[in-house]
Amino acid sequence: MRKPWLAISWRLLRHELRRGELTVMALAVMLSVTAVLSLSIFSERLQAGLLERSAEFLAADRVLRSREEIDSEWLLKAEQEGLEVAQRVTFNSMVFANNELALADVKAVSELYPLRGELKTALEPFVEGEVTQVLPQRGEAWVHSGLFQQLPLALGGVIEVGEKTFTITRVLTQEPDAGFNVFTDSPTVLIPYQDLAATGLIQPGSRVSFNYLFAGEPSNLERYEEWLLPQLDTLTQRWRSVRDEESPLSSALERAERFMLLASLLGVVLAATAVAVAAQRYCQRNYDAVAIMKTLGGTRPLVSRVFTAHLLLLTLFSVAAGLALGFVVQAVVVWCVQSQLEYSLPAASASPWWLATLTGFLCALMFSLYPLLRLMRIPPLRVLRRELDGSELARWLHWIVSGGTVLLLMWLYSRSLILSVALFAGGLLATVLLLGIGRLFIRASRQAGMQAGSSWRLAMAGMQRRARQNSVQMLSFATAIMLFLLVLALRNELLDDWQSQLPETAPNYFVVNVAERQVDDMNAMFAAENIVATDLYPITPGRLMAINGDLVRDAVSKEERDDSNVRDGFGRELQLTWRNDLPPDNDIIAGRWFEPGEQGVSIESEVAERINVKLGDALTFRIGADEFTVPITSIREVNWNTMQPNFFMIFSPEAVNNAAATYIASFYLPQERKHELYTLFRDFPQASLIDVDDIIQQIRSVIGHVSLAITFVMFLVVLAGSLVLVAQVQATLEEREQELVILRTLGARSHLLSRAVTYEFLILGALAGLIATLAMEIIIFLLQTQVFSMEPSVHWRFWLLGPLLGAGVVAVLGGLTCRRLLRQRTATLIRNLV
Amino acid sequence: MAIIQAHSIKKHVVTSAGRLDILAEINLAIEPAETVAIVGASGSGKSTLLALLAGLDLPSEGHVSIDNVNLSNLDEEERAILRGDKIGFIFQSFLLIQSLTALENVMLPAELAGTENPEQQARELLEQVGLGDRLTHYPNQLSGGEQQRVAIARAFIGKPAILFADEPTGNLDRATGATIEDLLFELNQKHGTTLIMVTHDDRLAQKCDRIVRIESGCLQEAEYA
Repeated sequence: MRKPWLAISWRLLRHELRRGELTVMALAVMLSVTAVLSLSIFSERLQAGLLERSAEFLAADRVLRSREEIDSEWLLKAEQEGLEVAQRVTFNSMVFANNELALADVKAVSELYPLRGELKTALEPFVEGEVTQVLPQRGEAWVHSGLFQQLPLALGGVIEVGEKTFTITRVLTQEPDAGFNVFTDSPTVLIPYQDLAATGLIQPGSRVSFNYLFAGEPSNLERYEEWLLPQLDTLTQRWRSVRDEESPLSSALERAERFMLLASLLGVVLAATAVAVAAQRYCQRNYDAVAIMKTLGGTRPLVSRVFTAHLLLLTLFSVAAGLALGFVVQAVVVWCVQSQLEYSLPAASASPWWLATLTGFLCALMFSLYPLLRLMRIPPLRVLRRELDGSELARWLHWIVSGGTVLLLMWLYSRSLILSVALFAGGLLATVLLLGIGRLFIRASRQAGMQAGSSWRLAMAGMQRRARQNSVQMLSFATAIMLFLLVLALRNELLDDWQSQLPETAPNYFVVNVAERQVDDMNAMFAAENIVATDLYPITPGRLMAINGDLVRDAVSKEERDDSNVRDGFGRELQLTWRNDLPPDNDIIAGRWFEPGEQGVSIESEVAERINVKLGDALTFRIGADEFTVPITSIREVNWNTMQPNFFMIFSPEAVNNAAATYIASFYLPQERKHELYTLFRDFPQASLIDVDDIIQQIRSVIGHVSLAITFVMFLVVLAGSLVLVAQVQATLEEREQELVILRTLGARSHLLSRAVTYEFLILGALAGLIATLAMEIIIFLLQTQVFSMEPSVHWRFWLLGPLLGAGVVAVLGGLTCRRLLRQRTATLIRNLV
Repeated sequence: MAIIQAHSIKKHVVTSAGRLDILAEINLAIEPAETVAIVGASGSGKSTLLALLAGLDLPSEGHVSIDNVNLSNLDEEERAILRGDKIGFIFQSFLLIQSLTALENVMLPAELAGTENPEQQARELLEQVGLGDRLTHYPNQLSGGEQQRVAIARAFIGKPAILFADEPTGNLDRATGATIEDLLFELNQKHGTTLIMVTHDDRLAQKCDRIVRIESGCLQEAEYA
């Protein structure tokens, strides 16, 4: 069967594409598809990559930690589900060598360990190790460099762990799951699981942590999780995945993810706006074609089919082009980022493709729906009466459909109804405000313009004449500029925030277990060797016994509540410290720091909230055999992301009466001086060193490629914004054309007209920029305080940047778009009009 | 037997200033193959009458019949089909679709009517109007006279029984206008089409069999040329 409408559609599309008449519409759809596809693929791959990388820090995808050995059936079940299983038993124990002893972290591991990440070993202490695929054989132990410093050890020598003697065959330089807790880490002694029983250290009641490591396909893991979780004893067993990690890395990532999500959501909304504007114009341009077709015998269903097919074909073309471009863009970005990463990014799933395709079709079809319906209602009589434009169709329909689509897109993209509705409602409010302010400005500017020269007067008159249209236009300009400023400001804030936390000289080593008598020597050594170090903080384990005289349950501290491996082994104890001055990166949010001679405790704000205490409450602690009660004199906010010793409780020195303590500090040692460590700390045999360089490097690399990603998002937002501007200016071209004809015919010279057009856009842009800055400040304040938990700030630079940027960009884009009109001869213009 | 008949048609619109009468009671019968010029001053109601006779609009009172079919009894779709079957149009502003080539513009009515192989007919018609070498040009690449020739070719492709022309030479210079007039009448004669033409141009009106003059919405007289 012949389908004449399809042939007509196809022909129209082909010619219009070739002649560039659909460029803005096609570009807008393409951009939205490109943006969604590249962003979702990129962020999915990045996330999966980071998750894989983080899994290495667990040495597995999931870990079951238990105080006792688990039922072997659980492991059997895991293997049946296709998971890899390994075991790791850890405990602290004194180890002996040549009649000297030191506290070590004994780790007995089974075959297959580690399931994720790598072990590195060397043949001498404190050097870079090499990746190894094997594990210590029975009777062998691998010992961490730190222990060589504390005990007279040598490769080939022996070390006693409990009742068993092991031969030291390698120096352990890196374990994936070394953890990061400066208080608890003792040097590791790695032994085979089969030798564990022979040590005789596993007795009922001994503080041992049994860890069962699992790795495998996500779906298998989930199935196993579903089966296992209901059976766990929540008091003694804990199921952990990398997502649960509380680390500076995860909080940095979380912020980055939120930012990416928000920014790309804004990008998509911008692209959608461009589609909406372009769709309107697309339909307006076809009013005549519809009237002609109807006059020549085309029925409404036939004409509807022609234009629906036209739109569908256009959408199909744009979506396909957008998908191709998006794939290329993300591949290029990944390629750029890859060089910075030490690991490769896994491939993305199919869902970004679906999401992008859906976005393209939703944008193109839903935003065109109202203009298209109006187009179909164009009466044939328009061929004689040019003013007929089907305008009787209710406009609220347009707003509902467009608003609904934006909301749907937001939800599809964020999968968070709350975030979508909040953003949408905020956007709606901002729209109404911007529209109102825009009109006010335009009205006010007319007054000012009347006193100006002729080009200015013409520009002002032009603005005034198109007041309604201009306030809508200004709204899109302002929205585009605002979103750009918003993304720019947030990006700077985030990066500054991260950079300030991890400056080049962020401490990369912790030294713990420093004896009191060696504090002065160590400070002297730091000074003599030019090493930037924090103060040495005294620490002593203690317990919180009562609040205002009421005995407390034990599980109140962060250490206890969260049994991640870095805090295990301390049970109910807190690490307590005391000092005269407030440590850096601590802010008092209530109360005041200790007066000299005062007794009191300063408590970290989150802990205060959790145990529900306030200023003035009396806390009773026990350190060793001593119990004492002190009032809370201040509540502090602590930046946990800094690489320095941080504490929940800080006492005034008088309160603890100089209890026995060891000391801790962190310091920065450049990579090239790493080999000096051994000699530097030779005089401090009982002090332990903890290397956090790896973690810092990892955070740096994450920040590095996240900032790249953010720049990429910004680029997309700029593109989408420009497209909105061009689409908007194009939408007013016909009217401008008429005006130009009249003014030209009346003798206005072209440089006067071109200046008038430029001025009009300059004013519009500057006003839009000003409004955008105001709106940006309000929104960023809300985001900083509500979403990113950052300090609110005012962005003075943007008050200059916003209007200048607005004026510049809008004038250039507007001028360029109108240039075609200004260059045409009057006769041509007139002919185009009739 | 008249091909078009206007039975006491009136047209008025309601504006904010009240009811505005555009056409008073008009009766008119046009015979097959007759050529009729509707003349009158600007705003006299000529174009409104043309719209009513062509079924582009419906009268407020009375009715128009084409081939004894009462247009008021047809809905918009049926009127569109009837126009496609029986009527061709030529407009002052040519009204070609800008994104279609000359050839495709001419093919359009035939395609809308589902005619087989419209391209061959369109080529022949464009040859006849002297645009055989301009088939792939877009309207904006053609002069005004050339655009009107494309419009004439388009009007004749469906072999219409009736041709409505609204100021067909109004946008053209005298020489080009004369060529277009000749072409129009020549094709009209060849196809035996009924021609109803709205014009300001008395000279052009004189070429028609009959001249109908409208003044202030009233049919003043019917002269035979």
